[in-house]
This record gives sequence, C-alpha cells and structure tokens, in this order.
Amino acid sequence: MVTVKKVQRRNLQTQSYIPSLLKGLGFTFSKMIKNLFNQDKMPTLNYPEEKYDYSPRFKGNHVLTVKKDGALRCTACMLCATNCPADCINIVASEHTDPAVEKFPIHYEIDVLRCVYCGFCEEACPVDAIRMGPEWQTAGVNGSVFNYDIKELAHRPGLKGGAVSRVDDLERHKAGI
Amino acid sequence: MFKCTINGHEVEVPEGASVIEAFKLLKEDIAHYCWHPGLSIAGVCRLCMVQIDDGPRLHIACNTLVKDGMKITNQTEVVKEAVRWGMDFHLINHPLDCPICDQAGECGLQEQYMKYGQYDSSMAEKKVKKRKVVDLGERVVLDSERCILCSRCVRFTDEVTKTNELGIFNRGDHSEIGTFEDQPLDNKYSLNTVDICPVGALTSKDFRFQQRVWYLKDTDSICTGCSTGCSIKVYHNKEGLFRVKPVFNEKVNGHWMCDEGRDLYKHVNAPVRLKQILKSVGNEWFPLGLERALDHLNEAFSKAENISVLITAQHTVEEYKALKNWAQQLQDKTINFVYWKNNPESFDSFDGLLIRGDKNPNTKGLLEAGFEFADASVLDSSDLVLAPMPENPAVYPKYMEKLEQLSKLQTQLCLLSVSNITQHETINFADGTLAIPMKTAFEKAGHFINHQGLTQKIHKGRVIVKAALGLDELLQAIKIGKWIQPQLLKSRKTNESSKVSGELW
Amino acid sequence: MSESQLLTEHYHKDTYKSLKGYQADGGYEVLKKAFKMEPQAIIDEVKASGLRGRGGAGFPTGVKWGFLPRNDETRYLLCNADEGEPGTFKDRMMMERAPHQLIEGMIISAFAINSPKSYIYIRGEYDQCIETVTAAIKEAYDAGLLGENILGSGFKHDMDVYYGAGAYICGDETGMISSLEGLKGQPKLKPPFPAVQGYLKKPTIVNNVETLAAVIPIIDKGAEAYKAIGTEKSSGTKLFSVSGCVEKAGNFEVPLGYPLMDLIELAGGLRPGRKLKAVIPGGSSAPVLTAEECLTAKMDYEDLSAKGSMLGSGAVMVIDDSQNMVDLLGVIMHFYHHESCGQCTPCREGTGWLSKMVHSILEGKGRIADLDLILKVANQMKGKTICALSDAAALPALSFVTKFRDEFEDYIKRGHQYAAEALHV
Repeated sequence: MVTVKKVQRRNLQTQSYIPSLLKGLGFTFSKMIKNLFNQDKMPTLNYPEEKYDYSPRFKGNHVLTVKKDGALRCTACMLCATNCPADCINIVASEHTDPAVEKFPIHYEIDVLRCVYCGFCEEACPVDAIRMGPEWQTAGVNGSVFNYDIKELAHRPGLKGGAVSRVDDLERHKAGI
Repeated sequence: MFKCTINGHEVEVPEGASVIEAFKLLKEDIAHYCWHPGLSIAGVCRLCMVQIDDGPRLHIACNTLVKDGMKITNQTEVVKEAVRWGMDFHLINHPLDCPICDQAGECGLQEQYMKYGQYDSSMAEKKVKKRKVVDLGERVVLDSERCILCSRCVRFTDEVTKTNELGIFNRGDHSEIGTFEDQPLDNKYSLNTVDICPVGALTSKDFRFQQRVWYLKDTDSICTGCSTGCSIKVYHNKEGLFRVKPVFNEKVNGHWMCDEGRDLYKHVNAPVRLKQILKSVGNEWFPLGLERALDHLNEAFSKAENISVLITAQHTVEEYKALKNWAQQLQDKTINFVYWKNNPESFDSFDGLLIRGDKNPNTKGLLEAGFEFADASVLDSSDLVLAPMPENPAVYPKYMEKLEQLSKLQTQLCLLSVSNITQHETINFADGTLAIPMKTAFEKAGHFINHQGLTQKIHKGRVIVKAALGLDELLQAIKIGKWIQPQLLKSRKTNESSKVSGELW
Repeated sequence: MSESQLLTEHYHKDTYKSLKGYQADGGYEVLKKAFKMEPQAIIDEVKASGLRGRGGAGFPTGVKWGFLPRNDETRYLLCNADEGEPGTFKDRMMMERAPHQLIEGMIISAFAINSPKSYIYIRGEYDQCIETVTAAIKEAYDAGLLGENILGSGFKHDMDVYYGAGAYICGDETGMISSLEGLKGQPKLKPPFPAVQGYLKKPTIVNNVETLAAVIPIIDKGAEAYKAIGTEKSSGTKLFSVSGCVEKAGNFEVPLGYPLMDLIELAGGLRPGRKLKAVIPGGSSAPVLTAEECLTAKMDYEDLSAKGSMLGSGAVMVIDDSQNMVDLLGVIMHFYHHESCGQCTPCREGTGWLSKMVHSILEGKGRIADLDLILKVANQMKGKTICALSDAAALPALSFVTKFRDEFEDYIKRGHQYAAEALHV
C-alpha cells in the first residue's frame, strides 16, 4: 500500500528569511561586544601568543630523565625501543667507564613524526628514564628537527636543567636490591 | 638398552645413561643449570629433582643412572615444590640487572623462572653484593653478582681446555668465580664459557652491549675459519652480523668452537666490504654498472688466450663444480688452475681440540672437484688472471703479495673480493683490472667438505652487500654473455652432519 | 661405672700419653691379638659388635668396611679428627690424653681392611692434638709399631698426620678427602661412595677417632661382651661432651641408652636456682629437645631419633631458662652460613637466608610471617644437597622455631626492647 502525503506549501512566514538572519546576527554581535569588553572571560586563547598549560599527566613530548649528577638515567636496555609500536626509537648503547653504571646510551633518538604518543615507552621503562611530558608543540621547519636527540630529550630549555628520575641506583644499592 | 618410564612415557636408553639424559631423549621438560652434556657432572644446582619409583626421597637426575624398569617422575607436587624453591634459592641473591644484562632474552634464569618459578618474592633481606664488571681476560667480562655458581665454566677450563684458569673462591653465599692473580682467562676457547653460562655472569667483550638478543635472527652455517668446519649459528639483523655461536654437532665440534672462528663475522659487515664493481684505470678506481662490467668481462675473456685461475679452498663445492664446467666449455683456450695454500709450513697442524692449520673450510672439496693444478709460475705468463679471493685476506698475506707481483707485471686481473680491495694503496693494479664484490659464506647456500670428508651444508643468511656475486654466478654471466638473474643452485641432498640443536645456554 | 669406661679408664694418668705409659696399662696387647686373627674375622667381629660410627651419622662400621671392593687396589684408611661440630670436644681429649689408643685402633682397622697407608686428618685449630699425635706416631715408628713388618706380623703400614685449615665442611668424609687431595674442601657427589672411590680415586674408609679407638675393646673382649653394654640396638659406650649451663662441663663415657637427665647430673647438674629449658643432644645440628622431652630421653640412637632428634657426635648442650632461644638460633645460623661450602644452591643461599632472617628478628626488625618463612625455607633445604650441612642447618631452625614458637613471637613483638637490651650488654 502506498500512502500519499500532501506536502504543505510554504507560507509567508517560512519564506521570509530576514527575521531569522537578523536573529542570528544579533546573537553574534552581542557575543562580540560582550567578549570585546570582557576579554579575560573568553574561553579561547590567542595562540600562538598565548599557550595552554596541559595537566602534568598529559602524554606529550618525551623527556629523558637525569640522575642527581645530571647524567642520563637511561641504561640503554632498549625495552622502550622493543615495545614501541611505531618503531621510532633508536638507541646505541655503550660501555660506561664507571663500572657502577656499566651501560649507557651514546645515542638516543626519537623520530617524533613516526611517534604515535601511545606512552608504551614510558610503561616499559624499568628505571623511570623516559616520561611523556606536558609539552605538546612539535612544530618545525625541516625534517631533521623532528628527530629528537639526547640534547633535545633531556636538556631542552623547557625542562629547566632536566627532570630527575625517581629511581636512584645508590638508594637501591643501600636497600639491598 | 634399558627401558624406563618417565612421567608415564616409556623410553629406551642405553645402559649407563643418566636420568637427565633419558629426559632429554624423550624431550620431556626438566629444570637444570649445572648439567651440561659436554662436561662432567657437578650436581650443585639441585634443580633436576625427580622422584624414582614413588620413593619419598628426591634424587637429582644428573647423577642417577637409569636402571631397567625404573619409574621416574618430576610431575608430582613434591618435586614441583622442590623445583620452585630451588629456583627461589637461585634468585634471592641475583641482582635485578636484566635491563642491562646481555643475556636477557636467552637467559636460563629468565626462561626457567617463567616455567618453574615461584612468581612472588619472599626475600626481604639484603642481597649479597659482589664484584661487577670484572675483566677476566682478553675476551670475557665477569659479573659475580649474576653468577649462580653452576661451575660450568670452571669445569670447562678444567676438562676441555685443561688450562684451569677459573676457580671458585670463598665459601657459602660469598663464593665467587675468579681467576688466579696474573693468570687471565686467555685460552683459545675462552668464549665457550660465555656460551655455557646459563646467566649473564660471563659476557663476551666483543658482543657486549652491541645488540639485545631479541633483535637478532639466526642462520645455521659452517665456520669458515679452518678445515674443522664447526657447526655454527650466525646471528644477524638489518644492521649486519653480530656474533657466531657453536651448535652441537657430535661428529665435528661437539659443543664448542674456538675464539678465532667467532671473529669471522667481522669481515662480512658492510664497513669493510667492497660494495660495487670497480674498474682500475690509471691507478684509480671507477665504479662500473653491471651491464658495462659484463661487457668488459666478456671482451677480456674472449681476447685472452692464456687464462689462469688463482683458486683457494674457500669456496663451496657448487662453485668449484661451476668453475670446472665453465673451463670445460672454453676448450679453445688454455685455462690453468693454481691452488693457493696460505701457510704450507703449518698447514697440517692441529691443536688437539678443534683448531687446524688449514685455514680453509673446503680443502677436501677443492681437491675432490677434479682440477688439475698447475704450478704458480704459469701465473706470470697469463694474459688474464681470474682471482676469486679468500674471504678474509688477513689470513692470506701471501695471496695479496702475489697479486701485487702480478699487477707489477701489468697482468690483467679479474678480482672477486669480499674486502674493500681499493684500500690496498700499495698495489698499483693494471688498467682494466676489475674488482667485483663477492658473496661471503654467510650470504650464499652450498656445501663444504671438512677435513674428515664430511659434507656439510651452509645456509643463505642475510645479504649484506646486494651487488655481491658468488663465483658460480659470475661464471654464468661470463659464459652467457648477458646478465641473467642468479639462481640458487640446487643444494645436494646428502647432508651427513647430524645436527642436534642444543640449548644455547 | 668403671666397667663402662672402655676407652677412658686410664685417661686420668699423665703417663698414658707416652708409649711407655700406654704399654704399662696394657697398650698394644690387643694389636698382637689382632695380628693372630684373620682380617675378615676382625671385620666380622666389628660387624657383630654392632659398633656404629661415633662421628655423627651413626653408620654401622662393620657394614661400611664390608663395602670395600674385593680386589687388590690400594686402600686408604682415614681418621676423621676434624672435630668441627659445635659443642663436641671428645676427639680432642682422646688425642691429647691417649694418642696411642688411636694409633693402635687404626693399625687394627688398617690390618682388617688391608690398608698400607692411613692419614689422621686433624682439625687445624687443635695444635695440642697435632703435637701429641705427631709425637706418638714417631714413637710408634721407633718402636716398630708402624712401618715395615709390624711386630713381626709381615703387615706394613704407614701413618701420617694432616691438618685442616679450619673448615667445618672438611668434617664431611668426602669434603675431607677433597681437602686431603689438595683441592678446595668441598664434598663430592655420591655415588661413587668413598669405600669404592675415595682418596685419589682409591677405595677409602673414613672413620671417626672414637670409632677407631672402640675397635680395641671389641677385639679385646669380643663382640659379645661389647654388645652386652648399652642397649639392644645401640651397643657399647659413648663419650658425651656435656657443655652449656651445667656446673661441671666435660667429657663423660657412659653406656649408650644412659638417661639424659642422669648424664646432666653426672656433669654436676644445673646451676642453682635454674630450670632446664632445652637440650641439644647431639651437636648443634641435632634438633633441640624441650625440657619435657628430656625427662624421658635416653642417650642412644633409637630413642633420640624416636623423639625427632639424633645422637650425632654426642655433644650435649644444656640450655637453662637464663638463655634466649632466638639468640642461640642466631649463633647456630651464623655458624652454618659461615661454613656452607657454597657448592649446592639450596645450602649456599638457604643458610644465608635463614641467618639473615634470624638476625633481623634479633635486631628487632622481624615479622611474625618470618617464622613461617623460616620453616618453609628450612624444609626446602632438607635432603636437597650433596652433603648433610644443609640438613644440619635446617634441622635446628625447624626445631627451634616449632618448639619455641612462643618465645620467638614474643621476641618479635617486643623486638626493639630485646635488641636494645642486647646492645647494652
């Protein structure tokens, strides 16, 4: 069975769009004027002059933590590289002159263009050597700046001298672990 | 033959076999560290506990001989509990070094812990601290804390090399492996101690921190270091070859191999390799495309009347066969084969264990290929010398001298080289000399015949230099005159070597 | 009393040390008698006497001698004088007071098993013993009692003294053999047993000082007479070293089966005003007996093993109520931790672990859960190793913690207080 429905013809009220237009413009201008005089209450930011501080738990750019003496905490165990689903971490290990340290990375590079910011590296790390920090801007002009090396990861100015790792070998040694 | 029952499965073992051997024969799981088929029985790890004929007392499987009709089990709760605790005793003083330990990934402690471990730690006391990063000798580093004192390495230096460098010092849980003063571990087989170490206590200086083992793949091959032809596994990844380890082969090398053989992977890696075809013009090398090179080759070979082949025993049986066929097809030319030995004076020497003076893997294969060898003096009168060079020119110093001599005579050479020949600045090669990159034994398949006449197969592993050719592939190209895609030669079916892959640690 | 003093009857005489004095009291007469017997007859006599090893394990001596393979291989007789078991000092007295008694016993035993060479392995700390025994051997050589053709019997025997470097583990027979061979003193895997493959891979018999000396009265008086002393299954006399909280500590030779309380009385009884708390009846590796168990305990192999302990080396350590069991266990565990040879994992790691746990209780850092862990660890150390050191460490830990659990729990609860007190002392 076919039901035929009669389409209602447009009337004057629906055909004249002017009132709706004015209504919309009115709303826009009222907001504009409101924001113009109360700029501090505005929810948006004037990026890039103003930047938003994310929560410290935000998984943004990688940070390599340091020991109290400022040396890299990383032991070059390669668990982060092994765990990395994007295969973006490249580490070259070497023997340290201090036998208490034994192994350390002479080269640590993250290709952030490949990185998917999953945080698996942070989870895999047994010594709290890599964290994902609140910084999130990865803009750059040419390809090489997207390969973050040790200098960028551990000693970039934003870290203000480096993030200190929670895992301390000396204390572990004292505890007999 | 004795019949015994292991965990309900019946198995026949030869008389005098121990219970642990019966377990291995049946491929039944049994935990163990100190027992090693190539060494004497120490019976100190106390992990291979079994229950015999349902008796209440547990026995160690390694020091118990199988008797006819014995009923053995290691699946009862008593045994399992004992093994769990045995694992715990091993672990309580073991450091949490896995992240920086090279053994991680192929560690006996990790593997057996996953199988038999207790899974939660009950030790709240401090661990015993011992020496770390101890330099034992030229090739081995010791970490005493990681050591579980299975005494395998001590027994190895005591029983196999009979050099007795290692010993266990001190008592109780302060016991440590060590060397005597001024007596470093520097015998020619020292790296075997690293292989048999079930944990990361002994590590190889050469491989230390180079790679995590889970990034490596392995290929079965034969050591090309000498005519013994030890069965080996070559470990590699996309960055190159990283190490060589022996594989158990009852007929050839048993469980061991020499340190020298382990260095052989070094000449295979990209930095020292010849990567493209080069042509010498006026003491300078110019790269050449494959097509151009082949044109050049065919021209040179068709022009030359008197061709010599300077051959060593470093190539496969298949390559010699191809060489022979090639020579037969060029009957209108004089082709002389010159067999080059590296060290005639110590050629037949043998150290009593594995190392032989004949530093070629396939001497028997070359001699059996049916060549008629000419005297080396024919080289001087040749128009063209085809020289498939030895893989590692370092062990063939005189070969290089000969090439130098020939180039002084302005003889045209066709070199097939693994190493980067252009680095020999002292040699001024004749114009038109071609240097073609050659495949190493790790990059091709084929067969070697060792000193005892055993034909052993090598497998194609990772290709490091894509442009490299095998001798057979090159000859095929010269014969046909135009390049065809090289095919893997059909491998011979007779592989007499009885290979039983042992556990690595 | 005197009929039970088979060995120590003349020990009070100073002259007994010398050959002359020893011979004056009938010394080396039994040797002459033995030389008239067939070697096999001596072995049979020892077997019939029911003599059991006095060193600790209590293995029947005659049976052990019977294990020797019947071939012409050189045999060795080793005298185990490495008296390391804490609390034991009987061998020391025997060697200091009557070295010739040991030598005579050894010659008879060597004659029985046809051994041309014997060694006396003396504990390195026993300077006096080494001195007297060495002097006595020299005397015996000079008198023709050692060397070629002893007393015209045609039997040749040489004897030497070897002293240890202070390792408890060398008191184990295979550990001693390793040490004698010049190796690190570590027990060897068994089988093969020493009687088949021992010193220098030759058949070897290892016996304790007291066992070898006890051969003399057996040959002298006959197996029947020897068997009449003691109980039915534990025949003969035994020297007990009584020490600890008694008035007059010392060695006492009594027939086996002697009541423990009487033995304590022999040693002068407890100090006035003290109550018996516990007794370790057979050296530090024997499980402890509570005061209640002591009342009915008889000093023989069967009764003590029925009570869950063992006769061991016969070192009776008496503990009264002034002593703290946790403290004692700490000392014992430290000893075994220090003495473990480090070969077998359960012992190497287990002794250390036990010692650390007991010491953390002692330091006031213990947890109640530690007690169960001590029991678990000790249980897993039992019967899992090459030699008996692991058991020796596990058994006292097990018995102390099970039998005196209240005291341990109390110590843990008031741990800091105790630890502080201990520090003040």
